[in-house]
Amino acid sequence: MFGIECHMSEATGPRTAQWLRHFGVSVRTVAAGLTLGLAVSPPLANAQTTYHLAMLADYSGPYADVTPFFVPARVAVVDWWNAEVGAKLGVKLAYKTYDTRYDAAQTASLWPGIKSELRPIAVLGLGGPDVAALGQRLPDDQVPLLMPSGGYGFAWKPDSWVINPRPTNAHEAIAAIKWLKAQRGGSQPIKIAIVSSEASPSYLDVARGIERYAKDNPGEVQIVETIFTDVQPTDLTTQIRRVARAGAEVISIQTNTAVVVATKRALQALGTKIPVVTTSHNGLLTSGKALGGLNQMEGDYEAYGMATASDEDTPARRFYEKLKSEYKLATPWNIVSITGIAQSLYSVRAIEHAVKKFGVSGLTGAKVRDALFAEPIRSEETFGILPTLKFSKEAPFPVEGLKVNIATVKSGKYINAASNVEIPLVSKW
Amino acid sequence: MDPAGIFAINYAQDRAIVRTAKQWLALGIFMAALAALPFIVHPRLIAVANIMLISAIVVVGLQICTGYAGQVNLGQAAFMGVGAYTAAVLASRTELSFFLTVPLAGIAAAGFGFVFGLSATRIKGFYLALTTIAAQFVFQFAVLNLPGYWLGGSNGVTVPPAALFGHRLASDISLFYLCLVTAVIMICGAFGIVRSRFGRAFIAVRDDDVAAGIMGINVVATKATAFLVAAFYAGVGGALWAYLLRFVAVDQFTLFSSVFFIAMIIVGGIGSVVGALVGVFVIRAIQEIITSVAPELAANLTFLGGDIVFASMNVFLGGVIALFLIVEPKGLMHRWHILKSAYRLWPFPY
Repeated sequence: MFGIECHMSEATGPRTAQWLRHFGVSVRTVAAGLTLGLAVSPPLANAQTTYHLAMLADYSGPYADVTPFFVPARVAVVDWWNAEVGAKLGVKLAYKTYDTRYDAAQTASLWPGIKSELRPIAVLGLGGPDVAALGQRLPDDQVPLLMPSGGYGFAWKPDSWVINPRPTNAHEAIAAIKWLKAQRGGSQPIKIAIVSSEASPSYLDVARGIERYAKDNPGEVQIVETIFTDVQPTDLTTQIRRVARAGAEVISIQTNTAVVVATKRALQALGTKIPVVTTSHNGLLTSGKALGGLNQMEGDYEAYGMATASDEDTPARRFYEKLKSEYKLATPWNIVSITGIAQSLYSVRAIEHAVKKFGVSGLTGAKVRDALFAEPIRSEETFGILPTLKFSKEAPFPVEGLKVNIATVKSGKYINAASNVEIPLVSKW
Repeated sequence: MDPAGIFAINYAQDRAIVRTAKQWLALGIFMAALAALPFIVHPRLIAVANIMLISAIVVVGLQICTGYAGQVNLGQAAFMGVGAYTAAVLASRTELSFFLTVPLAGIAAAGFGFVFGLSATRIKGFYLALTTIAAQFVFQFAVLNLPGYWLGGSNGVTVPPAALFGHRLASDISLFYLCLVTAVIMICGAFGIVRSRFGRAFIAVRDDDVAAGIMGINVVATKATAFLVAAFYAGVGGALWAYLLRFVAVDQFTLFSSVFFIAMIIVGGIGSVVGALVGVFVIRAIQEIITSVAPELAANLTFLGGDIVFASMNVFLGGVIALFLIVEPKGLMHRWHILKSAYRLWPFPY
């Protein structure tokens, strides 16, 4: 056809050569064409290397109601990073979400499949069951588990492969309590009551952490009582009357929304006003909604080491708006979506640091973890959503330079009460 | 019903579980396939198999208590937890070999279960179910409130990997063989128990405890023994769980798990050891299939949204269990026996 004589190569099978001959093309011509094609193709540097992230979610367990807000936020951040950062670095992060049902058995059974299928360089976890199922395996598998939430006192161990961007809820609550003491003034210790539950080890853990701080710092914090109640208490009037009579100035509730609702109802029934300090997962907006209106939480507080969901024009809010307008993020600006954004942001930044430190090729989970320990993730890198995170091998969460943001409800409006409040040194409990 | 032409000519043959050469062959092939599983299937399936084997041990124990002896038991997860904690504490503090920690875990759980078994001697049915639920709460409160250096309190207990002659059993494959061997021993034991005089006493008490007492069976001891055996099995399963996860915490053994164990024996068939195994396989397989399929569907059916896909998958799981209860409340083994009998009697009607 092309008037070129055919020559059969020894390397080429007779059938292929016959097929080429049918079109009048020689093997040499094909080889020359391929060489030319390669020569004019884009340079190799523009090619993207793909790495995988495994995302663990709970679509069918106790957190199924928040997962639809949480997962899209995580995904939008990775999409943003791929488009605006990864493209320049020559790295693409592929991801896949797995439903763990918030069940350690399910996570344990999923993990070997995730490992062989994706070969992930990081796992974005969700909660305690993931830590329980994978915590002991990850050092062997050399993959870091990057969590969204605060750390746990029981997981406060050195050389961890489980990483939390926030300290424990106890750390955060103590920072808020100390801030409230400063607002009150005076040198006498602030009297607090803790409402907790023995139904979950993580709830108990927070109470034990605050108790430990109070024991170490009797001049600052005095615990009048730790109330242990059900996960879904119906009435706490008797207990709240007791702590009110004991002179409690603050009530710390780090458990869930139901406990906040029961405590507020008890306070209202008693006609007593004691500010309640909550955290991200039982914060003012969700508890206010459960109580029938945000004004019900007037004068109460939430404190955590992340940006609050206030309406102020902040870099965090602007980044959210960008995700919403350019990366199809459809979830509202609330603490759940902020948590998802925060988790993905520090994860992709850790990967980014690893790429810069070790190069594009051959990135592994161990290198991502090394990069995480080697260089802090600055607050600007997370658009102010997280404080500067300086990880070390002594704890699974940053233990230095920790800060919290405190939000409150004033005149029925959710506002930021204080930013970058320092967390005091808390001993292990 | 035996195949045509197979007759037991002595008592040993009559008691035999495997009765024909073909059955021996089938069992041999099945066991060989199980042993070769790690070399054949995807690593994910090995992890699934590990969970299935551990669940099988726990559920077979429950089958003896509930299926054979008729004692409702909603505390099996707590008994499993006692075993897990025992193994964890022994392994982490005394560095005992798993050859000792696993049976000791079973014994500790059996002791705990026996205490609740004693209550079964005076109450039955709904009241017994409530009492066994109490086991769940007693377990949880005990672990969380005992001094932290006993059971770790809310911190849980980290478990060193099992070791055999200096070789760490930390990989999924090595754990698979540990679980497989233990499960085979425990299942053989279960067959032995249910065919023994204890097993016959269990069935007699289940069918009519007053009549059983009149026949000379010690009803009190039989009921308490049923709980003891069930808890022993749960304890052994719990010990394996501790070695599998290498971290034990109280929230891994919830009432929800106990309810799922009951669902497994209902789906498989109450009053059958093989039924318990079938129930574990079916429920866990459905769970795993759903867990595997849902992310793929969510990724491909983006117009539905991930939340709808994942939620419908779980409705499907619940629906399957409900369907079994409505269509075949006697479980899959009952259906299998009907099919087998129909085949053996063919061309005559069953």
